[in-house]
Amino acid sequence: MAEQTTDVLDRYRQDAELSHGELWLRYFELGGMSTGLQLEAFLYGALAPSAHDHDLIAHALNERFTELGGDHPVPYVEDENDN
Amino acid sequence: MTTGTTPIADFGVGVSVVGERAILAVRGEVDMLTTPDLIAMVDAAIDDGHRSVVLDLAELDFMSVMGLRAIAGGADRLEVAGGALTIRSPSALVRRLLDIMGLAGLVHLEEPRPFGRLGPEQSGPPLSAGPYSHLRRVTAVPSDDEVVNSALRLVVALARAAVGGADGVSVSLRRRGCLATVAASDQTIAEMDAIQYATGEGPCVDASVEGRWFHVQSLDTECRWPAFTPGAQSLGINSILSSPLLARDKPVGALNIYSRAEGAFAPNDQKLASVFATEASVILTEAGADVTDDQLSSRFQEALRTREVIAQAQGVIMERDGVGEDGAYSDLRRFSIWNGTPLRQRAQDVVHSTQRPEPHLGAPPWGGHDG
Repeated sequence: MAEQTTDVLDRYRQDAELSHGELWLRYFELGGMSTGLQLEAFLYGALAPSAHDHDLIAHALNERFTELGGDHPVPYVEDENDN
Repeated sequence: MTTGTTPIADFGVGVSVVGERAILAVRGEVDMLTTPDLIAMVDAAIDDGHRSVVLDLAELDFMSVMGLRAIAGGADRLEVAGGALTIRSPSALVRRLLDIMGLAGLVHLEEPRPFGRLGPEQSGPPLSAGPYSHLRRVTAVPSDDEVVNSALRLVVALARAAVGGADGVSVSLRRRGCLATVAASDQTIAEMDAIQYATGEGPCVDASVEGRWFHVQSLDTECRWPAFTPGAQSLGINSILSSPLLARDKPVGALNIYSRAEGAFAPNDQKLASVFATEASVILTEAGADVTDDQLSSRFQEALRTREVIAQAQGVIMERDGVGEDGAYSDLRRFSIWNGTPLRQRAQDVVHSTQRPEPHLGAPPWGGHDG
């Protein structure tokens, strides 16, 4: 198990006012293939998501922040790799 | 069943005794194959007279729902004997699962991992005030709601895609005392289940009743279910993996994975099956707790439709721009960010562009009449 010791994604989730179930639906809707439990493990840093999975989660959260009138605070792994 | 020959790389339990406490340090994966070993170790500690048993999960890599049931069983036995079970270093996921399954009040938790950040307690007292306090918020398995069926169909689709060797997947659920198939990947698989209901035997039936998993390596050599086996063979199925589904810690059904091949399910597939069975169990346990059935059902259908549209749009972009799957997805995502529009909307526009000419590709609106 990767030793990622961050729940930074889950804190974004809380800021986005999404339940774990609703975030999973949005992630699944965008094409995600991991189960709800795996998603929770990603959020809490108990498992390291693939770059693609991470970016799906990030985008699901960012779309939610847009709905709430905000910006896109969650960074994408792919964009970091491009820079 | 040839559990003895299946390589389980890392599972192990180190036992030490500190004062009156028996400490079982669990390593590796507690899954369908290794849970019985864990149960045996806990039982041995209790039989040895220990009334305080500590399960140290610091080295744990995976915990199946069956493993959690084993923990709950150990906690029950210890409570009856006037003792207590402590879980040391539970991961955030284990804590969450204990919470979801209503087991958090049964055990003591201590020394959470640093990334836990879940509760105010850093050690000592159990997370919830009284035993079974979480059970009250969860009702019995919903009787006929489409929402649960939708969720379970999703699990079936995911399991079918994810488990290597799977030719078909189904979920059986006991409702009003009778087992019924609520989700199946195709008709043959539904018939496989039906034969078991009709004969009253088979791995699906037994997993649903006994709450443990059943693995059939080959029906050619199977003798546990003489009435069921010939019918299954006539449908071309040879190996089966049935994992129990639990709601509130009680077996209520089974996730069944079928294959035409003999010995189709490698240890990793068995673990994946356990993951999906856990997922289905959580759905069953949580069903109806947060969202109304109609809302969730329509949300699922909408999510499935959107998923399909996004996949189609990816295909269009791959074809049009000569890029790979990931490149096509990036294209959609970046457009969505730059324009502040949902990705699904861009996907829909891309798909529509192939169905009829986009405005700027047809007669230009700014001066088409001039020729």
